[in-house]
Amino acid sequence: MPTDNVAPTRRRLLQAWGGGLGWIALAHLLRRDAGASGGQSEGLHHPAKARRVVQLFMSGAASQCDMFDYKPLLIERSGQPFDPGGKVELFQSSPGPVMPSPWDWAQHGESGKWMSSLVPHLAGCVDRMAFFPSMVSKSNVHGPATFMQNTGFTVPGFPSMGAWISYGLGSLTDQLPSFVVLPDARGFAPNGPSNHSAGFLPAQHQGTMIRAGRENAIHDLFPPRSADFVTPASEQAGLEVLEQLNRVHMADRPGDSRLAARIEAYEMAARLQSTAPEVLDVGGESQATRQLYGLDDPITADFGLRCLTARRLLERGVRFVQVWSGADNGFPRRNWDSHEDLLTDHGMMGRSMDQPAAALIHDLGSLGLLEDTIVYWTTEFGRMPCSQGAKGRDHNPFTFTSWLAGGGVKGGTVYGASDEWSYKAMDNPIHSYDLHATVLHLLGIDHTQLTYRHNGIDRRLTDVHGHVITEVIS
Amino acid sequence: MLSPSGVRALSALLALSGSVAAAVPESARTVQTILAGRCVACHYAGGGQAGLSLASLGDALRGGSSGPAIVPGNPTASLLLQRISGPRPAMPPVGEPLSDKQVDAVARWIKAGAPGVDSAGEDPADAWWSFAPLNRPSVPADGGGWSRNEIDRFVAAKHSEMGLRPAPEADRTTLIRRLSYNLLGLPPSPEQVRSFVEDSSSGAYERLVDGMLASPRYGERWGRHWLDVVHYGESHGYDKDKARRNAWPYRDYVIRSFNGDKPYARFIREQIAGDVLWPADPEGLIATGFVAAGPWDYVGHAELREGTKDKQLARLLDRDDMVAATMSTFTSLTVHCARCHDHKFDPILQADYYALQAVFAGVDRADQPYFDDPEVHAKGRDVWRKMRKAHEALARIEAQMAEATSDEISRLDKRSEKISQQVADSLPKVGEVDTEESIALRTALGKESVQVKTRRNELALARLPVPTQEEHEALTLEIESLESQLGALPGRRTVYSAATYFEPYGTFTPAWSPRPVHLLAKGSVEAPLERALPGAVSAVAGLAARFGTDSRSDEGSGRAALAAWISDSRNPLTWRSIANRVWHYHFGRGLADSPNDFGRMGSAPTHPELLDWLAVEVRDGGGSLKRLHRKILLSATYRQASSERSGQRATDAGNRWLWRMNRNRLDAEAVRDTLLAISGQMDLSMGGPSAEQFVFKDDHSPVYDYAHFDVASPAARRRSVYRFLVRSVQDPFMESLDCADPSLLVPRRSSTLTAVQALALLNDPLVIESSRHFADRMREGAPDLASQVERGIRLALGRDASDEETSLLASHGRQHGLENVARLIINSNEFLFVD
Repeated sequence: MPTDNVAPTRRRLLQAWGGGLGWIALAHLLRRDAGASGGQSEGLHHPAKARRVVQLFMSGAASQCDMFDYKPLLIERSGQPFDPGGKVELFQSSPGPVMPSPWDWAQHGESGKWMSSLVPHLAGCVDRMAFFPSMVSKSNVHGPATFMQNTGFTVPGFPSMGAWISYGLGSLTDQLPSFVVLPDARGFAPNGPSNHSAGFLPAQHQGTMIRAGRENAIHDLFPPRSADFVTPASEQAGLEVLEQLNRVHMADRPGDSRLAARIEAYEMAARLQSTAPEVLDVGGESQATRQLYGLDDPITADFGLRCLTARRLLERGVRFVQVWSGADNGFPRRNWDSHEDLLTDHGMMGRSMDQPAAALIHDLGSLGLLEDTIVYWTTEFGRMPCSQGAKGRDHNPFTFTSWLAGGGVKGGTVYGASDEWSYKAMDNPIHSYDLHATVLHLLGIDHTQLTYRHNGIDRRLTDVHGHVITEVIS
Repeated sequence: MLSPSGVRALSALLALSGSVAAAVPESARTVQTILAGRCVACHYAGGGQAGLSLASLGDALRGGSSGPAIVPGNPTASLLLQRISGPRPAMPPVGEPLSDKQVDAVARWIKAGAPGVDSAGEDPADAWWSFAPLNRPSVPADGGGWSRNEIDRFVAAKHSEMGLRPAPEADRTTLIRRLSYNLLGLPPSPEQVRSFVEDSSSGAYERLVDGMLASPRYGERWGRHWLDVVHYGESHGYDKDKARRNAWPYRDYVIRSFNGDKPYARFIREQIAGDVLWPADPEGLIATGFVAAGPWDYVGHAELREGTKDKQLARLLDRDDMVAATMSTFTSLTVHCARCHDHKFDPILQADYYALQAVFAGVDRADQPYFDDPEVHAKGRDVWRKMRKAHEALARIEAQMAEATSDEISRLDKRSEKISQQVADSLPKVGEVDTEESIALRTALGKESVQVKTRRNELALARLPVPTQEEHEALTLEIESLESQLGALPGRRTVYSAATYFEPYGTFTPAWSPRPVHLLAKGSVEAPLERALPGAVSAVAGLAARFGTDSRSDEGSGRAALAAWISDSRNPLTWRSIANRVWHYHFGRGLADSPNDFGRMGSAPTHPELLDWLAVEVRDGGGSLKRLHRKILLSATYRQASSERSGQRATDAGNRWLWRMNRNRLDAEAVRDTLLAISGQMDLSMGGPSAEQFVFKDDHSPVYDYAHFDVASPAARRRSVYRFLVRSVQDPFMESLDCADPSLLVPRRSSTLTAVQALALLNDPLVIESSRHFADRMREGAPDLASQVERGIRLALGRDASDEETSLLASHGRQHGLENVARLIINSNEFLFVD
């Protein structure tokens, strides 16, 4: 491992989080130390408008035309054959008749954005949100499409967005990891934890999983129950003895910075042990906050707890938090993949997501964090405006909706449009690349410059694509 | 770790200092691209139409049966230009003529004297180090008397050039620990250490090396390295990450091959085409587990309907994985960079890439039957081939049946659809519990569905001509008979390997003949160009880049030809690649520090002559890797101490010139295996089904739960190479120590030191359990705390304890128990690093 002469203590400290943080991240932290950042944070390549991201990922494909993408034609043609012109190729089924949303639509806010009654709380936030109703997926299959929204590629093995941002910007704290993932209590999304892997980036950039609300929320954070020989006293004395052993070992081996970095990794681990329980304990939150996030309603409790935990992590300097809504595509339905019964399944998922997501926006706003925190809501693809088996909707890779809110995002805007059916993207079709490029841009990163060489290619989150959507930047 | 910008600057620097390549003029690259896109499919190297290859510019100059295709400086006299220009150009014979702009580019390039092709007709690619023909370099003279063998003389030559001096030889306790981890992945026992340290007879070191190379633990250690490189995993990855419970025979094959020192050329050929080349040898089939090793999109292959775009995409990416794995593993080339366009930096054409895809156009990844007894295996595979043929004929008739119509047939088809709908409707919704009523309904519907489909097929068959009906009957009987023949053979086993025939499931069916592969404009399945035929990289001198095999009728010929192309003694990439990998695993860094990329964006070798010398040693030494290990391990270079010296450090802080040994961090497997070894818990049984170190729950997407695995169970005691390797969710303990991600080709492990890793080594249940057993072992035959501590240090660190250590740890043990001492030793830096 190359060593350097710049700020050795600081550098070793960073290595303890990962045995070699990128130079750019180091430079960033050194600048932060120097107090250069002030109120506005500096970016990696240009001034940043935001410093943190919370991503809400709807697993299983959340329907655009039942929440955000209002199409009067579906109501007009309800029950008639679905004939948008050309062959309609569906994932599982043959196209059924046109199916309007079972939820009502109304305009909201000053922007007058149409929202369905499935998301009444989010409807109250539209003036803070920028919608992208012309998203297109390269795959119509959950696994590859979920990879694509996370990593920019449809095959496994690539770093996820959170890992790239951690790699590019490093940490805002030396108490907590820079990239944290809060999986759904019911299980993992398609592809499992490889959705938030560091891929070929150094391991410290991979998402640290926190199982909010569980006894062992972070794996191996504390000794297991079986460790009856470990006591607080043995733990404290042991770490001192360990350091002594390591210092003797190091004294005979000068010049190897890894040996000191490892000593500091243990100090860092101890800090995480003392910080994490406090961060994860929401007991001190007010009743008003509990109500805001819906912690006392069994439908919203899980996603609500994780949105609240996300806020607590962001407050304490975690750079990127990913919160999952929904697990895998099994039965009974436990995610947004409503092939069989949209009203029941989307009804449940929508209710569980809507209030906590809106609460997060409000709460970040009232704490003053929303101005430099991006809320990024997405899913792997959309759903068809026609019915599948009378009550469900099949996959739609041709158009779906994502939205952004917060740091640097122009609220009350809509970029692009789908056709009159919400079947295909029509105006300004965009891919994950463009949204990823835009989020990186807001963080002060030029997506074409954030690269890592792997197997012969300078890899990027945005592959060889991506355009920053300047229209939604405030 | 360097930052992105640092890496770029470094590669630019290396390109300046290390490159011997002539710059390829832009105009030549343009022409190369045109030829690759429109001409090379027919005019491929070593057997193209009219004896002409246009695979390289040098080939164009050499010409074909009508003479040279180009006359530098004289466009009008150049046959190539004559054929492609004019109002009705003769070439290309199919598709649109070349555009005016393309013709003009060729004309201008010829007029300019065809830059980029020298007078001998050599291709610019020849000048790049990894493509240059491989010859044994002469060994530098022995300078200072430090050298023990040829390796040292190459290294010493660089030392004197750079003003460096080698480190003294490491002491024996250091050497035996280094060797033991390096070759076996395990710590030496205190007895082994003592006997080596006390052995004053000559040849003690050599005997130690030979003994370790002969140990079965060697194949487990080095086999694991190979499994990194080929991205071996035991679940499919993606959504619905199904377990592959029959992948392990390939893992055992790899271990056997290393232990048996299988000649490298044979090792290559077996893995790519063993089923074709040695049809009567079970080893040949098992070896093709290599082709099947990578991830597989279950939904894309088995659930998507035939003819959809996503299905095509799934197959394209599946072949891409096979091509990338094959070429990265064996030739250290990044051919996968040429999927959308010609390689931007290396002489790899997009046409080459699709020629490689065509090689794999008829294989899938699936379970295959095999038999340990070669005679039975030959019989079994023969029956299997006959089954394939019969099924293929049956599939043709079934396709006709699917087309058949009548009123009754369409009534039955509608009923089938309705049944699926009813089944879907009866499934419980969120919050609902499945009722006995709806379960009974689904059972009834399932039965009816079978009846309806059977009736439908009977009616459809009856509508076909009588001879077809008879053939259908005969084939059905034949398949039944073949199935019972196969079932009667003793000792049937299963391996997940390359497959041209398998039990179909869902929409996953065999390719009865290889699927057509086309060049794809920008890599898009929606923009197919010419059909591609099997071949490899055009830029390797002396080897035909298009195999001339017609994979359309004979699937195996393409793979056999690729296996021959790669393992050819004239292929310089292959031999440099393996020599560099072996060096990498001995020193922690390759002579070329990008073991999977020998192209212009990779690292040039620090000691190119040494690399070539080693490559020739393997190639001309019967492909023996053990011989190469021995050469390296006996060198003075390898035996150096790892300590830093400030004077040398100023010249070469990164130790690129090998003035000391590198200190290396133990990898995940070595850490875990050491825990088992020092605590006396290791089960050294070899091979067989993998140890599942998680709680498995089958489901739509299976659940692999590591948190509830019992670390005291027998499955926990197997060596790490026998762990069951899940793709979607890895063992968190191993992951914290940078174990290989089986979704990635991993030529080199990262070596991080994170807080999460510290927590894993402190608190993982495996460490706790091991600490307990390790403490028990420390107590064995040691009467007091001090001697128990001394025994612990000897077991874990392979040396005697110092007095200070003993008193420090004994005092800790007195207050907090020996288990806590055990846990501290496991967490020490000395445990994790090898000098």
